[in-house]
Amino acid sequence: MSSPLFDPTAAPVGREVTIAPRPGSLDGLRIGLVENTKFNSDKLLLRLAERLGRRHGMTVARMVRKRSPSHEVDEAAIDALRRQSDFVVSGIGD
Amino acid sequence: MSATAEPDPASLIEAYFERGWTDGLPVVPPTEKSVAEMLAGAGLRRDEILGEIPGRNTVVVAEKVAINAVLAGCRPEYMSVVAAAVRGLCHPDFAYHGPASSTGGSAMVLIVNGPLARRLGFNSGNNAFGQGWRPNATVGRAVRLAMMNVMQTRPGLLDRAALGNPGKYSFCFAENEDDHPWEPLHVARGLSPGQSAVTVYASNSLYQVYNQLAAEPEPLLRCFADALSNLGLPNVKGFNQALLVVAGEHAEVLRQSGWSRRQVQSFLVEHTRRRVADLKRAARLPGEVAPADETTWRYLFEKPDDILIVCAGGRAGSWSACLPGWGNKWTKAVTIAIGEMP
Repeated sequence: MSSPLFDPTAAPVGREVTIAPRPGSLDGLRIGLVENTKFNSDKLLLRLAERLGRRHGMTVARMVRKRSPSHEVDEAAIDALRRQSDFVVSGIGD
Repeated sequence: MSATAEPDPASLIEAYFERGWTDGLPVVPPTEKSVAEMLAGAGLRRDEILGEIPGRNTVVVAEKVAINAVLAGCRPEYMSVVAAAVRGLCHPDFAYHGPASSTGGSAMVLIVNGPLARRLGFNSGNNAFGQGWRPNATVGRAVRLAMMNVMQTRPGLLDRAALGNPGKYSFCFAENEDDHPWEPLHVARGLSPGQSAVTVYASNSLYQVYNQLAAEPEPLLRCFADALSNLGLPNVKGFNQALLVVAGEHAEVLRQSGWSRRQVQSFLVEHTRRRVADLKRAARLPGEVAPADETTWRYLFEKPDDILIVCAGGRAGSWSACLPGWGNKWTKAVTIAIGEMP
């Protein structure tokens, strides 16, 4: 005779995500930056954007600041990033 | 139900270990009956959603929490406290992802208030943070197991604690409402004395504060202010939230002084501070020390309500504790009435 085990786990709920098409060229793209308020996050992202600008002629279209690293990017910011930028870089961790 | 194993109790316990479903301690193997009783203890349906964390695609369903509560050793009547705590963790103000996943390794401190705390036998007295009381031990454990198993907060994955702390196994206590100088925490946070509540609060450290000589609030509170502003504190750079747990003799000093809760909080806002020069010398702020830094203060609290004060612990002994909050108010304590939706 066997006894049942009760699975205490739950997987994340799946949701459908549409991935944006990859750009054919990096030249002249508009960068969106998501700064999560971690120390030096803004500096690192801007330095990265500067290098991308030098190499590929990219420009920073918008940098948004999260309420905290623990919070999600708010919908208004996501909407603005979607309209104004071609891709987004988000950071940083510890 | 997901699998089968031998009915021998030790083998069953091993089966839960093997699947990575425990916190490292043996669990109580659930049965259909015990899970159903756990749900009934809080009047919950199996499919009832206790909360969601959208950024992690997490949906917390009552049945899974009930299974974890059985595993933790809870009695069914504790389930309403567990459910309220989980609701608190999922509240947007708690901002779960940061304190749950940070390298800081926060314990989720659960403070239980109201008639239910007394009826269920939660310890608020001697050894309030320690071992020996089933409600304290198992409710805190159930919440951590639910975090691991239901909310994807597993060490090394979405729990990135560098060290963690022992409070991550379980950290739950009741407030001592009988010897309190003021109204209890849940009343200070807007609920009525007749309601029961749990407050969830993320803290990655606990410092015991000792002072056997202070007979007035000022010297005693200076010790708290100092403990809350040490150079290694994670949040010394910005405004913070903190929890003070004042035990017997210190609570008596405050009561006899006639100081109000607000006076105590205001004193701490004013005195919990460090010189900018100290912070720069310790590389907690960048840059060289300038002459003005020697006389420029950085304050750690923005306003009195950022300091939560709770009474708990034994009547004897000159000990209290301070628990700095995780993050620069990136997470805030949340108080949930037990048995009610937030």
